[in-house]
Amino acid sequence: MTPLATRDLLGTACRLGAALTLTAAIALLGVLLVQALGVVDVGFLAGAPSRFASRAGVGPAIAGTLWLAVLTAALSFPVGIGAAVYFEEYAPRNRLAGLAGSALANMAGVPPVVFGVAGLALFVRGMGLGPTILAAGLTLAMLALPTVLVNSRTALRQVPRGVRDAASALGATRWQVIRRQVLPAAGPGIVTGLTLALTRTVGAAAPLLVLGAPAFVTHAPRTPGDILTALPTQAFTWSTRTEADFVALAAGTAVTLLVLLLTVNLGALVLRRRLR
Amino acid sequence: MTAGGPLGGRATSVAHAGGHGAVLRPRRGAALSERLAGRVFLACAVLAGVAAMAVVGVLAWESAAFFSQVSPARLLTDPSWTPLAEEPRFGILPLVAATAQIVAGAAAVAFPLGLLTAIYLQYYAGPRTGAVLTAAVTLLAAVPTVVYGYVALNFVTPALRGILPGIGAFNAFSACLAVGVMILPTVALLSRSALAAVPHSLLETGMALGAARARVLTRAAIPAASRGIAAAMALAVARAAGETMIVTLAAGNQARLTGNPLEGLRTLTAFIAQTSMSDPAPGTIEHHALATVAAVLFVGGYAVCALARWIGRAR
Repeated sequence: MTPLATRDLLGTACRLGAALTLTAAIALLGVLLVQALGVVDVGFLAGAPSRFASRAGVGPAIAGTLWLAVLTAALSFPVGIGAAVYFEEYAPRNRLAGLAGSALANMAGVPPVVFGVAGLALFVRGMGLGPTILAAGLTLAMLALPTVLVNSRTALRQVPRGVRDAASALGATRWQVIRRQVLPAAGPGIVTGLTLALTRTVGAAAPLLVLGAPAFVTHAPRTPGDILTALPTQAFTWSTRTEADFVALAAGTAVTLLVLLLTVNLGALVLRRRLR
Repeated sequence: MTAGGPLGGRATSVAHAGGHGAVLRPRRGAALSERLAGRVFLACAVLAGVAAMAVVGVLAWESAAFFSQVSPARLLTDPSWTPLAEEPRFGILPLVAATAQIVAGAAAVAFPLGLLTAIYLQYYAGPRTGAVLTAAVTLLAAVPTVVYGYVALNFVTPALRGILPGIGAFNAFSACLAVGVMILPTVALLSRSALAAVPHSLLETGMALGAARARVLTRAAIPAASRGIAAAMALAVARAAGETMIVTLAAGNQARLTGNPLEGLRTLTAFIAQTSMSDPAPGTIEHHALATVAAVLFVGGYAVCALARWIGRAR
């Protein structure tokens, strides 16, 4: 950019920092893939956990994680987006509404494990659901909700004021403005925010462990009332084993989970293109 | 909600003036969906509030049971945390100190690396390098934390043993490295958006005055983005303090605190994970201790998030 840039210490430091970051990402992925290479096959994806590493699989855990993703999305997306629309489009512009909005937004900073403790008391014990898919889905929905709300509000706020004013000036009612103009315009941004919230929540192992996810589940959950099993907790269980075979299984589980999360991201990308 | 009425009325009258009555829904139906929409959105906001209150309520309720047996003063001053001992002691300081040690170690990794990566992405990287690096950082952000814990326990610690023979199977050092890489995307991506928001005119002014790029960046761009960068770092601290799986897997569960990073330690979050896996019976002091530690984490995470939002917004 300038001739003086030849002695650019900051530039050298930045290149070094960026290179280290890239190295960390490649090393992490490399270790996982090398470990998972000999593990992930059809038998692993379809099979159930076993005492013998060579026969063990993640079929039930995949089914559990898919259930949890669906439940979390079904419970947290409508409420989160609806609340975001309320705060951005309906709430009076006063101190009380501002405080309520901030109070909910700050919930996004509360660690996931805390939601596990709350879910244990509220759903597993309080409602007597036990450590089931449903109890976990409710807990993860509570965990995802603040992030869904914050990200949706950000997306709604990025719709220019003029869009609302123009539609109102043409005689559209408030609901017509929101349904026909604001929500479609904010759509791609909302989808991005939902994807972030969902992938982070579904990958969380800590709340599920606190809820009492058993270490050994051999039957895939068929209904939300079935016993809890999921990929993150399965990866945890196998990570704590000392045998090299089981350590490799944990890597296979982690890669399966990563592929699932990246698929969600890819789906969101396609949806975003279509909404634009 | 009252604004819906007059607006609805206007919609009908405008349409009548235009003479396209057939396109319009009847006035009564429109008013109904109008009122209904407002109520549904309000109900969603109320439901979100109820969910938050339920979390607060249940933690407060169980913590109250804990404090009926252990005074807050003892919780804050007792130097040891031994909930399973015959004479259980509940001093939260060792857990808090362990969490602080993990946060400090992770920050030492993530703050410099994340900030340098952000500056590189915003001002130095070519389009292709930038795309590759952004993809790598986004990928790091998508990796579940249990995976970081797995890599720390099974690969980072064994690798460190070659350099530091005295390192334990569970140790704070490798947990700090893993948590540091885990929060790196938060620092890098949010700092980058803060840098991207700095007005171009500011940079151009510096350049026009003949300042070198590094000088423009250190004297103009980074100071202008400093609030956003500080908010990014605060959010990263909140994530590091709340991180459970990495510390549970890699740092172990020793309640004694030596400050030696080569030894294991037990953070607030690891206590919750380990204790709940042993499934303490409801109503026991151990179970109440679980909720109390969760309440401490709640208050901490909530406060840091509020701070980050305040720093990011104020000018």
